Amino acid sequence: MNWRGVWTLYHREVKRFLKVFTQTIAAPIVTTILFYTIFSVALENRVGTVGTVPFVVFLAPGLVMMTILQNSFANTSSSIMVSKVQGNIVDVLMPPISSLEMMSAYVAGGVTRGMIVAVAATTAMTFLVELPFTNLAVILFFAISASVMLALLGMIGGIWADKFDHMAAITNFVIVPLSFLSGTFYSIERLPDTWQYVAQFNPFFYAIDGFRCGFIGHGDSGFWFGALVMIGVDLVLFIIVHRMLATGYKLKS
Amino acid sequence: MYVREMVRGFKIWGITLAAPTVRALLFASVFGFVIDRPGVTMGGLPFLDFLLPGLVAVAALERSFQSSAFSIVYDKNEGIFTDIAMLPLTPGEIVIGYAAASVSASLIVGAVVWAALLPIGGVMPQAPMTLIFFVAAGALMVGLFSQITGLWAHKWDYLESVQTFIFLPFVFLSGVFFSIDELSTGAQPFARANPVFYIVDGIRFSLTGRADADPWTGAGVCLGVIAILWLVVYRLFASGYRMKS
Repeated sequence: MNWRGVWTLYHREVKRFLKVFTQTIAAPIVTTILFYTIFSVALENRVGTVGTVPFVVFLAPGLVMMTILQNSFANTSSSIMVSKVQGNIVDVLMPPISSLEMMSAYVAGGVTRGMIVAVAATTAMTFLVELPFTNLAVILFFAISASVMLALLGMIGGIWADKFDHMAAITNFVIVPLSFLSGTFYSIERLPDTWQYVAQFNPFFYAIDGFRCGFIGHGDSGFWFGALVMIGVDLVLFIIVHRMLATGYKLKS
Repeated sequence: MYVREMVRGFKIWGITLAAPTVRALLFASVFGFVIDRPGVTMGGLPFLDFLLPGLVAVAALERSFQSSAFSIVYDKNEGIFTDIAMLPLTPGEIVIGYAAASVSASLIVGAVVWAALLPIGGVMPQAPMTLIFFVAAGALMVGLFSQITGLWAHKWDYLESVQTFIFLPFVFLSGVFFSIDELSTGAQPFARANPVFYIVDGIRFSLTGRADADPWTGAGVCLGVIAILWLVVYRLFASGYRMKS
């Protein structure tokens, strides 16, 4: 294991987003607070409770998870994309570092950003709404496993996309809709039956539901099943990314 | 120059048209799912009827903000912004070129989003001319602001900061999602000081006939803000602010 290589790449990944922290950390926090504000002002008195919890308590963890998902994805995908466009991706491919080591460093970078944003957004939320922290371990597990999932998806997106347009298309048409429609704002029991059925195949749903379960103590799906889905999906994505890097798909000509 | 701006904006129409449409539909469905019983109203209208005009406004204004600023910063980064500065155009003509592109792009995006929302409860405009006026005025206002941003920004980072920390809060808190009567009395004066509020309110008035503020006042505020911004932009171009070294 080339620890120094992994550490160096990880270090670069982290420095990359910290350098522009106004966009990578402050901006998501502001957006999360904005979303919280519009939904609470517009709907707090109109919706009342979701299940047994007040709407705002239901909403806050969902919004935090949405930021985690979007930022973990953005970190790895934009890093690879920028390297490809600027042509310095070879600097990552050339050193004596295995595919496994390389992806660990990228994923760790994405997870780091996800966690920083998560802590900051959660802290901001505690000022706005009284959040119960029922089970910290569950919160952490789902935060990290979801972050890993999106960091891996970000790598796939970054490797696959040839241009920034493609990346924007994936973000706009896949990542944002999935993070919006997977139970951030409502319990999936509110959905028509067919969509409830579809939601069961959506890993984003388990990420959001499990994360929220850590706060309010119960969710739409069972905790263990959700955890299992997350681990399974992470594993499958891990293998896919590993294959892509090992074969040099779209990276080596 | 107007043609160039339009071509540039719509070359990637998949993003410029489809992305705001998808986003508007997402917002509409999310609010639709959250509302757990029929008969939820906002400002005297069924909630979705209240929301949809706001979403049209957001889409149109967002396009307008992105048009000129992105174009100018892109040119600056590529080092071809001097081409614009060198053109045999007066500052006033440059401003008109950019502004006209912003307004037409916004009208197109606004129309597309409005059409996309029709099947899920959008309404035919009650006052089409007023609607066009408010969309155009809003687009012009934001478009001019976008030109200032573009001239000021050296890098993409600056641009994105302005978008996240100034533009988005102004738009999201302008009454797109809620009637400003919902706000606490302390926050109301701030909401009414936000020029975007008058655009959103005017667009909603034109579509549904319901408004928080008097539309004539709104139109006056819009025109006043536009005049001020126009003078600022004109001065910037005339003095070569951050264009000529």
